[in-house]
Amino acid sequence: MSNDADLDFIAQAMPAFISEAAEQIEAIETLLLELEDQPDNRELLDSLFRCAHTVKGSAGIFGLNRVVEFTHHVETLLDKMRDGGIALNPDISTLLLQCNDQIKFLVDTAADESADTAEQKDARADLVIRLRALTEDAAAPLSEPASVPASSADQGGGLRVWTISARFGPETFRNGMDPLSIARYLGTLGAVKSIRCGTDTVPPLVNLNPESCYLSFFMELETTANREDIEGAFSFVIDDCELDVVAPETPDQMLARAIEEMPETPRLGDMLVSVGAVTQDKLQQVLSTQQHTPGMPAVAKTKIGDLLESQAGVAPEVVAAALGKQQKIREAAPSEERYIRVQADRLDAVINLLGELVIAGAGATLLARETRQVALIEANLHMNSLIEEIRNGTLGLRMVPVGETFSRFRRVVRDTAASLGKEVNFEIVGGDAELDKSMVEKIADPLMHLVRNSLDHGLEPPQERMAAGKPPAGTLVLSARHETGAILIRIEDDGRGINKERVLQRAWNRGLIEQGVVPSDDAINMMIFEPGFSTAEQVTNLSGRGVGMDVVRRNIEALRGSLRLNSKPGKGLQVDIRLPLTLAIIDGFLVGVGKSKFVLPLESVVEVIESGGQHIKVDASGRHCVELRGQVLPVVRLRTLYSVESSLPDRVSVVVVNSPRGKYGIEVEVLLGQNQTVIKPLGRLFKTLRGISGSSILGSGEVALILDVVSLAELVTGSETASVVG
Amino acid sequence: MSEPFELPTELNIYSALETRDALLAWVTEQMSKSQDGLEVSARNVEEVDGSGLQLLAALANMEHAWRLVDPSDAFTEACRTMGVAQWLENRPLKNASGA
Repeated sequence: MSNDADLDFIAQAMPAFISEAAEQIEAIETLLLELEDQPDNRELLDSLFRCAHTVKGSAGIFGLNRVVEFTHHVETLLDKMRDGGIALNPDISTLLLQCNDQIKFLVDTAADESADTAEQKDARADLVIRLRALTEDAAAPLSEPASVPASSADQGGGLRVWTISARFGPETFRNGMDPLSIARYLGTLGAVKSIRCGTDTVPPLVNLNPESCYLSFFMELETTANREDIEGAFSFVIDDCELDVVAPETPDQMLARAIEEMPETPRLGDMLVSVGAVTQDKLQQVLSTQQHTPGMPAVAKTKIGDLLESQAGVAPEVVAAALGKQQKIREAAPSEERYIRVQADRLDAVINLLGELVIAGAGATLLARETRQVALIEANLHMNSLIEEIRNGTLGLRMVPVGETFSRFRRVVRDTAASLGKEVNFEIVGGDAELDKSMVEKIADPLMHLVRNSLDHGLEPPQERMAAGKPPAGTLVLSARHETGAILIRIEDDGRGINKERVLQRAWNRGLIEQGVVPSDDAINMMIFEPGFSTAEQVTNLSGRGVGMDVVRRNIEALRGSLRLNSKPGKGLQVDIRLPLTLAIIDGFLVGVGKSKFVLPLESVVEVIESGGQHIKVDASGRHCVELRGQVLPVVRLRTLYSVESSLPDRVSVVVVNSPRGKYGIEVEVLLGQNQTVIKPLGRLFKTLRGISGSSILGSGEVALILDVVSLAELVTGSETASVVG
Repeated sequence: MSEPFELPTELNIYSALETRDALLAWVTEQMSKSQDGLEVSARNVEEVDGSGLQLLAALANMEHAWRLVDPSDAFTEACRTMGVAQWLENRPLKNASGA
């Protein structure tokens, strides 16, 4: 009966396990790549081991034997590396990365045994053979890979008596852990010489919360196992448990360790007294000597540590440990961070509601204005400013640093470069810039494609680079930064840039443009994003199939983003992707033409000028020009562009907006002011509508169309129609 | 002496709340009836975890004398493993109130 409950629990907890395991697997990859750069970094290696261990441990809870078995081999290798028996080299690194892919595959297909094809099994067996070859070579011949990790390091590992004291945290039971099973497990590691359960801290029955844990135990365990094996028994409670594992060490070592493991003890003297390195009397004596050193200014007084060493005979090792602990406490205190894991759709539901609230708020403001009651209007304004704060706060919750996505590319760059025989230095800049989570997910694929494209087509092989007077290793920089309401992601390489002649030739051949027509440089560069375009002389398996780049552009435009290329032939290529920070709500500038309402993204609005009105001649698309402070400003008349019916007012306004193509004007009839705009996507019928990116419902219930400043700019500046040279 | 309290078959976290309430109610009732020591029987216990043992530790931390009777094999093993084997000793019941 409890078996059913267990199965239920496992089924419920499975998605959480898979998502956590996915995070660990991602972390393993990142750590491995970092470790390649700093092979001597012990901390990285330790974190790596922990990640693998966690995946194995939690997979074990869920009975995912394939994951456990396979990960065990990886763990064995990592353990050997920690012992210094094996040093990381590029081959091992590649092997571990492949193993990580295999773990990922196993976790992803945990629920589906049939996905584990014979091919996968062979691949896995092959990896295991290679892992074992490494671990068995390095270790003494008696190592047995499938058993409990053999004891190693930690002072030889003979039969010794360890004292283990553990105080379990209140959440232990609620986290599904049980001190009794831990004690039982420890018993399997060796012989329990003594065990005593600390029950004094358990409150009497009347005050007991039976689901909180108050237990502790003190155990003497005779075993050949090492510290890691023993501490491993506590790996799932370690965050919520005070654990003290003491080996039969020299007295000084024991003191040093006791200090190291003290929870919080700020004063050096107290620390030493409490572990018994010095008596209270002796400490007082030393302290008074320190105070009474005559004629010395306070700052120059002998340090207490030195005094304790010289006068109280405390071993320097012990003092050093105490000082180290103090330092650690000081460093650790402020950096404590707390996280809550929230389901994304719950957050989405809140954001949806918030959108409705914004609309409702706008409606209320409109009504309040009509009543002309100042107090009511005031109250409404206040409410709206609060709504805006909530809006910003809530949208902020969805923001994640793009760096996580970026660092995923390290692997792609590494593998791709290796397979192409190129050398690449990959740099990530501004990974802490934040972007909407859903946006980050959607941008990952297009970015991946662009990065691959740079590697494949942009960067030259080493010989070619040297011939061109460049360093043999190419540089690829992925950067992100905020730019007025948008994020700019830039992929920059120092490769050969875009070969304009070849692009043009191909565009002619493929019939993308008419023979002999030469568009502007920008337009030629953008040709690589046209459907069915590919210039790679050889189709590699990475890129060059002519699919992809157009999809990249479509995906980015679907996110209301824009793409821009800056090619310096022979020197490199810069791809700029501008994306709005969020998909849900923008600050809008509401304008009217006839009875229609339009919203412009406020951040793109520069200024508003008056214009001569309807007597200025326009072309069929409603385009004309005005003079703005001595410069020609292209202007589009919305009334003509979208054939809006309206009477002709004498004076019209031109809203000057900024776009990646430069400033231009949008001629409108009425200015209606700032407005928080909840973006609703356009139906499929309207997807082809140019210059419009979405719609919004106003407080009055009217529908306003949201103008897409970027695509409107293309219409206005007319750069999409090619000019004929010659 | 009245009947001992019967610990449930599954003395674990799933039944901890229930068992605690039942045990507390029983203790309160017994104490109102007499000043005799309490007897808790573990004859039916088949499954036990740390939270189950903790319940008895909480009982032990009350002011009433108590004694364990008829421990099942599973319960005995758990007490030994967790280091509360002293409960298994067949102690004479002292009168806690000293009356």
